[in-house]
Amino acid sequence: MLHKLLATVKKELLLLLRDKVGLSVLFIMPVALIIVMTLIQDSAFKSINEKGIPVVFVNNDQDSLGNQILQGLMTNELCYTTDSINGKPANSELAQKAVSEGKFLVGIIIPKGATAAIRKNVTALVNETINGEAASSILPDSVEITILIDPVAKKSFLNAVTSNLREFISEVKTKIMFQTFSEQVAELIPDKEQAPKNSYQKSQIIQYKEIYASNATEKIVPNAVQHNVPAWTIFAMFFIAIPLSNSILKEKTEGSVFRLHTMPTPYLLLVNGKIIVYVLVCLIQFLLMLAVGKFLLPQMGLPALVLGNSMMGIFVLTLATSFAATGFGVTVGTLATTDHQAAIMGSLSILLLSALGGIWVPSYVMPEVMRNISSFSPLNWSLEGFYKLFLRGGGVADILPEAGKLMVFFFATMAISYFVNRKKRTV
Amino acid sequence: MSNPFIIEIQHLTKTFKHAAEPAVDNISFSINRNEIFGLLGPNGAGKTTTISILCGLFPPSSGTVSIDGKDLHSELSDIKNMVGIVPQDIALYPTLTARENLSFYGSMYGLYGKNLKDKIETWLEKLGLIDAAKRQVSTYSGGMKRRVNLIAGILHQPKILFLDEPTVGVDVQSRNVIIEHLKEINARGTTIIYSSHHMEEAENFCTRVSIIDKGRILTQGTPAELIRDNAGSTNLENVFLNLTNRKPRD
Ligand SMILES: Nc1ncnc2c1ncn2[C@@H]1O[C@H](COP(=O)(O)OP(=O)(O)OP(=O)(O)O)[C@@H](O)[C@H]1O
Ligand SMILES: [Mg+2]
Repeated sequence: MLHKLLATVKKELLLLLRDKVGLSVLFIMPVALIIVMTLIQDSAFKSINEKGIPVVFVNNDQDSLGNQILQGLMTNELCYTTDSINGKPANSELAQKAVSEGKFLVGIIIPKGATAAIRKNVTALVNETINGEAASSILPDSVEITILIDPVAKKSFLNAVTSNLREFISEVKTKIMFQTFSEQVAELIPDKEQAPKNSYQKSQIIQYKEIYASNATEKIVPNAVQHNVPAWTIFAMFFIAIPLSNSILKEKTEGSVFRLHTMPTPYLLLVNGKIIVYVLVCLIQFLLMLAVGKFLLPQMGLPALVLGNSMMGIFVLTLATSFAATGFGVTVGTLATTDHQAAIMGSLSILLLSALGGIWVPSYVMPEVMRNISSFSPLNWSLEGFYKLFLRGGGVADILPEAGKLMVFFFATMAISYFVNRKKRTV
Repeated sequence: MSNPFIIEIQHLTKTFKHAAEPAVDNISFSINRNEIFGLLGPNGAGKTTTISILCGLFPPSSGTVSIDGKDLHSELSDIKNMVGIVPQDIALYPTLTARENLSFYGSMYGLYGKNLKDKIETWLEKLGLIDAAKRQVSTYSGGMKRRVNLIAGILHQPKILFLDEPTVGVDVQSRNVIIEHLKEINARGTTIIYSSHHMEEAENFCTRVSIIDKGRILTQGTPAELIRDNAGSTNLENVFLNLTNRKPRD
């Protein structure tokens, strides 16, 4: 049996090595994609130095809080702030879209009635302190300011920007509160000296909501390299479906299938030979892409890929991804009846799964609905796993759910292929 | 070896999905050990379909087949081990060389190591392919591909060999070489089932033939018997044309 398996692997390797187009699809295309996509997205950072940080401001408040923050930002030299997008007044939706597209690095949304809410809360607070009334209803009413952040922005840079912003916003807020407060207190008690100075600090009246897409606050923002290298590597790994399905179909159309199905060798063994070779190809692809991320991109003035600290985790996840990609290719090759069909079916489905999976646009900037759909794409499982390893310092244990799902996907594709193949062979 | 028949076919019928007429229609016959049995018939007669069933590519719609005492349906894997196949369509990887192709197929039939290598070299030599053996099969002429296709089916010295039109498109010189080698293989104990439209070759090569058309057996016997029984025939081709009505087929 081992001799047979080795012979199958050898045959498959030879076939692949002689397929120059297939090889270039497997190795040159992903390198090109990584470089181009990273360069495009990285240029978003460069513009910052020239005009200042592009900030879009959505003033749904149209009252003291909103107006004062806008004014402050406008006069700040570090920021290039605008409250319109393409000539139209900015609203929350437009701003979210523009930020996710990288037109602005930061978006700030002041909710409607923010100033009024602060005033109301302060009034209640005053009543609490002065009259001893229960004021537990304060917190639900607190004002939420949303800060949108470009998902490809560098993290260190963003921390600086957002903490400055926060400081400034809370300054404005404090000013408004203090004004309201003094007015209220002046109404109630003429003696300002007795006013409880600290009480507005004990409750955080304005809450910040930083979103990279949603309110998933513990999500770490990858930079262009940290996103693109794993993303396009996964994409390339799934692209083996094209040469793999092609190799399966060629065997059908070139007549070998007559021999393959009448030989005293289980068809499964032949398929296993293919799987071994293509999983190996995936692993080589992965190493190549890591090398590009670590050594080539820095040469081009881009940040170097940071691998995290679990080599074992990377290996397990890569292996699982390779199996999932290979299983996918076997299924495409089994479902299609001509190599033309396989090429179309393969490339379209991979484009679709990759778009859904957050390869092109990270899934955390997608709208809620899409994000939910996204979690059905095996490319997304893999990408999430790599984020955990590369960005959140995760280890093997952390990526086991992703790796597990990918392996389940592999076994499912093998089962589908097995049954489809049986059905197709009944003539 | 109580059973003189190596292959016994009973009421074999195959109707393809969506086909109006059966491709093989209730045929029964037996093949003796060590025969060279010819399946002769015009295009679409059902030769390839019959051979495909006998080597387990797909099951018949009805009927039973036993090969060397084993049931085709329940003991297929045993049968696969003793059978060699030379399909009508070239079944080779075009981007692999002759050696690489033969090495792969030989391995699939359980050969390996030096034994496999030696057998490949011997056959390449016998069929005049040594010089071309390093080239990819896609660069071969039709006749050369056919010869490699043949070797792939006989490398493992099968007990039973199915040949589906093995000499189509092969020049006279190679054709004679091939026939001589096949006779030699047969002399060493391999039963051969051979399909062809080449009547002269069949007459010279086969010990017994069956002429089939539209999935049915028209006649069966040694070439000499058939010529004798069909008045006015001087060779197998006359017999064949008389029985199959001289019309071109699909
Ligand atoms: N896979 C298939 N699906 C449907 N019909 C088929 C299939 N294979 C063969 N047939 C039909 O079965 C009949 C017998 O075909 P078969 O290939 O057995 O003929 P043959 O005797 O080998 O002819 P030839 O000399 O042309 O090779 C033909 O009518 C053919 O159209
Ligand atoms: Mg045929």
